Amino acid sequence: MSLKMMCDQGALADALNTVSAVVATRTPTPVLTCIKMSASNGRLELSATDGEISLQLALDRLEIDSDGEVLVPADKITQIIRECIDPTVTLESEGHALHINSGDSHFKIYGFDPAEAPPLEPFDDSSVDCTIPAGRLASMVARSLFAAAVEHTRYAINGVLLDREGKRMRLVATDGRRLAMASGDCQSDADPTRCVIPGKALSLIRRLASDPEAPVQISVAESRIMLRFGDADCPATLGSSLVEGRFPPFEDVIPRDHDKKVVFNRELLRSAIRRASLLTNEESRSVRMKFESSRVTLTSHAPEMGEAVVHVEPKDYSGEEMEIGFNPNYIADALKVADDEEITFELKAANKPGVIRCGRDFTYVLMPVNV
Amino acid sequence: MPIRRLAEHVINQIAAGEVVERPASVAKEVIENAIDAGATRIDVRIEGGGIDLLEVLDDGGGMPAHELPLAVAPHATSKVDSAEDLQHIATMGFRGEALASIGSVARLEIRSRIASDDSGSMIVVDHGAVEEVQPVACPTGTRVTMRGLFARVPARRRFLKRPQAETSRVRRVVRDLAVANPEVAFRLVSQERTMLDLPATNQRGRFIAAMGSELTDELLEVDQEREGIRVLGLVGSPATARPTSAHQVICLNGRPLIDRSIRHAIKEAYRGLIESSRHPTVALLLEVPPDRVDVNVHPAKTEVRFRDDRLVYSIVRRGIEAALAKADLTPAMRPTGGDGPWAPPAERALFGPRDRTSTQSKSSPSTQRFDVPAARAAMGTGTQAPEYPVEVIEAAQPVVQIHQTFLVTQDAEGLLIIDQHALHERVMFEKLMDRLDAGPLPSQRLLMPEMVEASSEAIEAVDSIGPLIERLGFDLTAAGPDVVAVHAVPSLLTERRVSIGGFVSDLLERAGELGSMTDTETAAREVLDMMACKAAIKAGDALTHREMADLVSMRERVERSSNCPHGRPTTLRLSIDELERRFGRR
Repeated sequence: MSLKMMCDQGALADALNTVSAVVATRTPTPVLTCIKMSASNGRLELSATDGEISLQLALDRLEIDSDGEVLVPADKITQIIRECIDPTVTLESEGHALHINSGDSHFKIYGFDPAEAPPLEPFDDSSVDCTIPAGRLASMVARSLFAAAVEHTRYAINGVLLDREGKRMRLVATDGRRLAMASGDCQSDADPTRCVIPGKALSLIRRLASDPEAPVQISVAESRIMLRFGDADCPATLGSSLVEGRFPPFEDVIPRDHDKKVVFNRELLRSAIRRASLLTNEESRSVRMKFESSRVTLTSHAPEMGEAVVHVEPKDYSGEEMEIGFNPNYIADALKVADDEEITFELKAANKPGVIRCGRDFTYVLMPVNV
Repeated sequence: MPIRRLAEHVINQIAAGEVVERPASVAKEVIENAIDAGATRIDVRIEGGGIDLLEVLDDGGGMPAHELPLAVAPHATSKVDSAEDLQHIATMGFRGEALASIGSVARLEIRSRIASDDSGSMIVVDHGAVEEVQPVACPTGTRVTMRGLFARVPARRRFLKRPQAETSRVRRVVRDLAVANPEVAFRLVSQERTMLDLPATNQRGRFIAAMGSELTDELLEVDQEREGIRVLGLVGSPATARPTSAHQVICLNGRPLIDRSIRHAIKEAYRGLIESSRHPTVALLLEVPPDRVDVNVHPAKTEVRFRDDRLVYSIVRRGIEAALAKADLTPAMRPTGGDGPWAPPAERALFGPRDRTSTQSKSSPSTQRFDVPAARAAMGTGTQAPEYPVEVIEAAQPVVQIHQTFLVTQDAEGLLIIDQHALHERVMFEKLMDRLDAGPLPSQRLLMPEMVEASSEAIEAVDSIGPLIERLGFDLTAAGPDVVAVHAVPSLLTERRVSIGGFVSDLLERAGELGSMTDTETAAREVLDMMACKAAIKAGDALTHREMADLVSMRERVERSSNCPHGRPTTLRLSIDELERRFGRR
């Protein structure tokens, strides 16, 4: 059976771009670098996996003359479709090869036997844990994933913890020096869930949440999580194996005994931190923050480079005066994703963690730098 | 078996086990006697590695006939009279057991004549049996001849090595004693072949003659004195380091010595200038008042006990450091021809001396080829690399990165090849050292302590260097018999995404290895070195033009930029002069 179809160049290019983010980059197994394209029932399904994470996307803005499937290298097909200048492209298979025609150009790329593609698990409707709007989920990912560790020996913290109890879902990430927790409401009747999701799987969510209102169904099985994106235009199923290992007991890390509370305008603080961090370097990456009732003074000092003093006026301050040092990048990271106009800074002592809060849905714990 | 008092010759055989181990130890005892006897020339002749024959001829004072039987009797000596004398021993031998011991395990012949007698006399001890003294014709002085060592003690004979190996040990003993006593002429002949011929000279001349003429321009003088203890010596530039410590002679009051603590002090002084697997070429003469050192620790007297060993350690280390610092930090004072490489001919020709006058007189280009394997070896391991003084590279010189590992640029002298990791590591290291002077390093606290397994020695070592690692930004506490909890780490490490667990675990392992030998400065250098290594760019990292230019320009601003903190070279130079010769332009 040979595949033959014509489709919209832009829609196909977008879809391929998303799916090709899944494939493995360095692998001795060529089929793990491929995208499988199957046309049937008037839809084209694109799927890829790196062996751990899998993604299936469906497209219907196309005309299928003949059903069929091909397995072709992800980078080549994606580059070719992206570069095509005609609004439509036609694809036609010949054995394991694929012909691509678009306006004045013709391509033939050699693929593999589609039967060699690793089988993908279907979404299991019976094990749905919860449902959450795609936009909310994507925003929670944005407010947590940045704090996850990279290639840490404690594998669990290279992922993000999904913790759901009742209708409250939390995503928690830490690299051992700061911890970000994003919360949001969801629909669920199931028992509480706790699992650790690889960062790479979560980074795909933002691309898939094109319709923020579309619901995302999440099902969690023993070692695998599946997310079904109900976007009408472009329904997708993302699957990922879970990260093994115990995520550290994050609740214990979030301090509750603060006695100083400072409210800032987020943009004001963000800009002040940015300015103060200009005179820090790798060896001295820290900004000292001196909290007084009417103002907060940020100072930085890098030997051989110079010093900076930046004043920023808090909206509100309660508690005694104190001084504490932080890595400015860690504060900036949090201020970038916090989306309210105001943030609060909670402090206890110079050697105790500080907490940045933004509304009730974002909590960020960061450890100080001692100078 | 009932308890009995052992016969004299059995006692001597047992004692011999301590003093007489192999031909080299016999040579040492007998030569030391010769030196004590005031010899100005000592000839040593051996056959079969000294096992078949070992003969020492000196022109010292000699012994009268009636003293000969005493000389071979145990605990008979002319050097010590009372127990009090042991407190200030100025002679080399004093225990009075050497000759008796040798006589009990070999055939020993001693011929001796004092200047005032017309003829000499001879005594023979054949495996413990002392024969009558006979008159014999001989020159003034003493000739000690030993034949058939352990011939009748097969158990001991089995432990001897092949003659070549024993020969080289004898050679080492003679060499070391010769370095310690330059005013005495030495000669060593083995199987009729002259192995050493060292006329009386001064210290420098003797050291060069004994260690190799290549050292001529490579020696730095050490002279340090404190509280009555003086260290005099000659130390080789880092380029003269060798793979073994065989080129180190340490002498205490004229006596060659094996002392781990002094070896360590030497090694520490060269830290960062040579690779840790290599050993500098060093001759050190320690002058310590006899009452402040106990040489009567071991019969072979190669080990001693200093009353203030910390002081000796520190004088040796500071002395060498001062000598090296002077040479390194004031390049203008270095002789222009002398900073060329210390390398075998192939590499020497490749990265030759920069002094034009000296190169011109060298062999013609046609006899030399560009030796690729040697060049690669020199670049890869850098073991034979030349060391150049800090040079100013003019700004805006083009820099090229090759294989994402080396940078190639030029300076006034020629072509420079830079190992990007090695140079950046040195730059980071010096920056960190400076940074540490300015105050403690910023320390990033951790949300949850990271647990690292460690040996109990390592945990103890951490306790001893606690204040230091705190200054560096670590907060470590023992969390169990073999676990350390990491509460904070230098923020530099987190900035460079260095794995904390792995780093601390390496650190603890190093701390355990160094153990109690570690003073804070050593430990600081060790830890900063590790931090610099982890934080520096690696081989394989692509660099932008700007980064390359910055790195190269840092070379001139940083001290000791010629070598990375591990002692590997950062830069090799192919001189313009050399290039011109290679291309037949001159």
